[in-house]
Amino acid sequence: MLLSLAQSALPIGISGIEKRFGGVSVLHDLGLDVAAGEFLTLLGPSGSGKTTLLMILAGFVRANAGSIKVGGEEIITMPPHKRNIGMVFQNYALFPHMNVFHNIAFPLKQRRVSAAETAERVERALDLVQLKGLGERRVDQLSGGQRQRVALARAIVFEPRIVLMDEPLSALDKNLREHMQIELRNLHRRLGMTTVYVTHDQREAITMSDRVAVMNAGRIEQIDQPEALYARPKTKFVAGFIGESNFIPVECRNGGVWHEGSNLRMKDPAPSAGRHLMVVRPEKLRLIDGAEQTGDVNALPAIVGDIIYQGDSFVCYATLKDGRQVTLRDYCRPDVLAKLPAPGEPITLGIDAQDVVLVADQ
Amino acid sequence: MTKRLCIQGLAAAGLLASVAVPASAADTITVASWGGTYQEAQTKAFFDPTAKDLGITIKQDTTNGLDDVRLQVSGNAVKWDITELGADECARGSKEGLFEKLDYNVIDKSGINPKLVHDDWVGISYTSVVLIYRTDVFGDKGPKTWADFWDVEKFPGRRALSGSQATETLSVAALAKGIPIDKVYPVDIDGALQSVDKVRGHIDAWWTSGAQAMQLVKDGEVDMASIWNGRAGTLRKEGAPVSFSFDQGVLTADCMVIPKGSKNKDVAMKALARFVSPDLQANLPLYVDNGPANEKAFETGKIPQDRIKDINSAPENVKKQVLQDPAFWRDTLVEATEKFNNLIQQ
Amino acid sequence: MSIGSASLDPACGPDRGLNADALRADARRESRGLLALLSPGLLLVFAVIIVPIGWLFWLSLFDETGQLSAANYARFFERASYIKTFVTTFKVAFVVTGACVLFGYPLAYMLSQLPRRAASICLIFVILPFWTSVLVRTYAWLVILQRKGLVNSWLIDLGVISQPLPLANNFAGVVIGMTHIMLPFLVLPLYASMKTIDVDCLRAGMNLGASPAATFRQIFFPLSLPGLASGVVIVFVLCLGFFVTPALMGGGKVIMWAMRMEQTTSLYSNWGAGAALGVVLLAVTLALLGFFQWLLGARATGVWSQR
Repeated sequence: MLLSLAQSALPIGISGIEKRFGGVSVLHDLGLDVAAGEFLTLLGPSGSGKTTLLMILAGFVRANAGSIKVGGEEIITMPPHKRNIGMVFQNYALFPHMNVFHNIAFPLKQRRVSAAETAERVERALDLVQLKGLGERRVDQLSGGQRQRVALARAIVFEPRIVLMDEPLSALDKNLREHMQIELRNLHRRLGMTTVYVTHDQREAITMSDRVAVMNAGRIEQIDQPEALYARPKTKFVAGFIGESNFIPVECRNGGVWHEGSNLRMKDPAPSAGRHLMVVRPEKLRLIDGAEQTGDVNALPAIVGDIIYQGDSFVCYATLKDGRQVTLRDYCRPDVLAKLPAPGEPITLGIDAQDVVLVADQ
Repeated sequence: MTKRLCIQGLAAAGLLASVAVPASAADTITVASWGGTYQEAQTKAFFDPTAKDLGITIKQDTTNGLDDVRLQVSGNAVKWDITELGADECARGSKEGLFEKLDYNVIDKSGINPKLVHDDWVGISYTSVVLIYRTDVFGDKGPKTWADFWDVEKFPGRRALSGSQATETLSVAALAKGIPIDKVYPVDIDGALQSVDKVRGHIDAWWTSGAQAMQLVKDGEVDMASIWNGRAGTLRKEGAPVSFSFDQGVLTADCMVIPKGSKNKDVAMKALARFVSPDLQANLPLYVDNGPANEKAFETGKIPQDRIKDINSAPENVKKQVLQDPAFWRDTLVEATEKFNNLIQQ
Repeated sequence: MSIGSASLDPACGPDRGLNADALRADARRESRGLLALLSPGLLLVFAVIIVPIGWLFWLSLFDETGQLSAANYARFFERASYIKTFVTTFKVAFVVTGACVLFGYPLAYMLSQLPRRAASICLIFVILPFWTSVLVRTYAWLVILQRKGLVNSWLIDLGVISQPLPLANNFAGVVIGMTHIMLPFLVLPLYASMKTIDVDCLRAGMNLGASPAATFRQIFFPLSLPGLASGVVIVFVLCLGFFVTPALMGGGKVIMWAMRMEQTTSLYSNWGAGAALGVVLLAVTLALLGFFQWLLGARATGVWSQR
């Protein structure tokens, strides 16, 4: 039998969390629901409060106000050792005076699991993280990736209700990190434990998560599935933090959206009023000719600045009428390359109505 | 014997590192003594007048005892022309050949006890070991003799004896057995050790320095003790509730020598002659409680009559005391001290 | 041996040979350079440690008449007081080291948990006594602990005791005075090692289900052991050679090895008598250090393998 966390996986309900350090408020009235078995990532720049939230979940930091319910049970006042939450630390936090076996057996020992069962479960956990046979190794004899796996095995061997991970891959080099991302993802699929993952790496968040909560200055800006987060950011911060964006100022009035005197076509309902920004991903812009300026395509006249060839794709910098520079990215397909303009040439940039996303311009 | 500090070891280590003084001008000599108030008194009584009389410069240093002389002589780095030592140290150093012969054509030995006049050393002053007790504990009915001190039932209380000066404590122990003062020497060492053994369990501190003895009595840590008369006198002057007398005191002499290899031997000889002259010897008790070694000092008229009774080497007081025999301890010191240490550490 | 491996022999081809020569020359030059850099230090160690100790040992082999003899060592067995002194010395060292651990471990732990600023202020107070001479501190203890000292006066005034406690001029006095002087020597290395313990390791312990007490016992304490061991070794070895405090606080009843060396040096006219005592203390101290080293080495696979 494999370790199975699916039955015991529990939902987490976080509400009204406030945290102040001294006079500085780092989390404001924060609420978040994590479904049982979900892989949720807290993504944000440093100082956004994501690690503090994780520390509050683990019980190392006490919140000033708020509630955390795991499977309906309130744990906000529970000491860390009673919470039954597994955690993988950024620097692994393996016990240097114990070998691999004893590190992984540690949580079982605390739970008075019999020696025979401990040996069996540690063996299974080692197998799961592909470290079979390394139980007797000293921690300082392991590579970074191996330590990462030991930390992971230790965090799940006692079948915790929730697993927390605090930037667990940040110390690994790029190739290993990408490999471990896939592995963690697969492991989560197999075991189905409710996982809260913290990272500042948006690519990692998008690769691994069921949902991503983007945090900024102690608040959650947006929680969504990775595709939605990318395609339909709800705030300027989210749009800027995830992927590349062109921000084009627009004006909303009379139920319509206006840019440089022309009405923009869009699928979403237009905001009633106020200054907004149109978020345009570089790959959503394309070069169009006059004939295409019909139907659901918006046309933006511009002057070509520079074109940079990048092998599989190219980047074209263009200047709009209002002097704003925008970036266009497209694959190097023969038909596109054939009609590439020269620097200084006037062109028309097109954007489909369904791709028009507006965010408030704070 | 001496006022040496208990930190000899440290000072001796420091000495190893120090550099020998280069040959001084013929009219400069270096004299070493025990430091502190005693050496200040010697400066006023002996050194300054001598320097003036002979037209020389006397530089001063402090010594920790025979070890220092041995180190200088064996290391061929003699930096002192005259140094003070305890009489038993003089006797031992003489046996080891550490000193220059003294020229008694230059030094007038009359008036100095013959036991303190030798080929290569001469007595300079006296210290007494006396019995002190606290009057706030005993009133004026305290222990007057060493037999009293040993009598723990008649005189209950806390006691201290010297643990570092085995010779003095053994002399005292012999007196405690009831041996008359003129029969103490030669000391029956085994008998004296048996005597120490009797009181051993009642001794609360074995002191190792004069300052410690004084502090023990002053702070009331002990009610009675053996103590050097200089320290006892200081306690009385400070107003501590104490009483002591020279009855059954143990008179120990200090001596001066010229270390072998002194580069200013002749000038040193003349200076030493002045130090032991009755004239300058009479100065000493004016500044300190250590009595002059030359009894003719008392005939100079320099010492006030009412002061004489407080001086341990005044003829009246000498009669009440045992004179430590340096020659006796020269040959028995090591064995006696080892046995004594053995006993008090049990 | 195969032809292939023979061709790898550096002496075979001219290039390999030249390279090998050049490499060897480089290695020689490097070791000469290192030696040159080390030589002032080595010379100093030789001049101020090796030579005097060698001389000490040499001196200890001669008796008063200057004859080669074992008399200076035989004395230890002939006189019971030397054995007694030896036992006393170790007893004091053990008790003082134990007391230092008892007081020093919680102190170092507290310091390691304080914020950096507060910790550095507290550390100043730990180090402060170093600026006062041992002699002064010992006399201060005498004033505090003697029969009419502060502690006894207070306790009697408060009616806790009717007779003064014997705290000075005995074994207890020596232990109290020495513990105070030795404490920083234990606290400083211990504090330094506690500071290197990763806070996340402790958090991990709690996260994995260990109560705070269990986390301390199973994680913090084992990780602080290297610092504790070095502190204990320093204190113990310093205790073995201590002089001033036992001399003043022991009331002449607690004779330690260094005091015995002083007595012996002035009692015997040959340096060998004192030198032999020094040689014995040195040998025992080295043996002890060796023992500790072995102990540490034996556990290197466990506790002492820091990352």
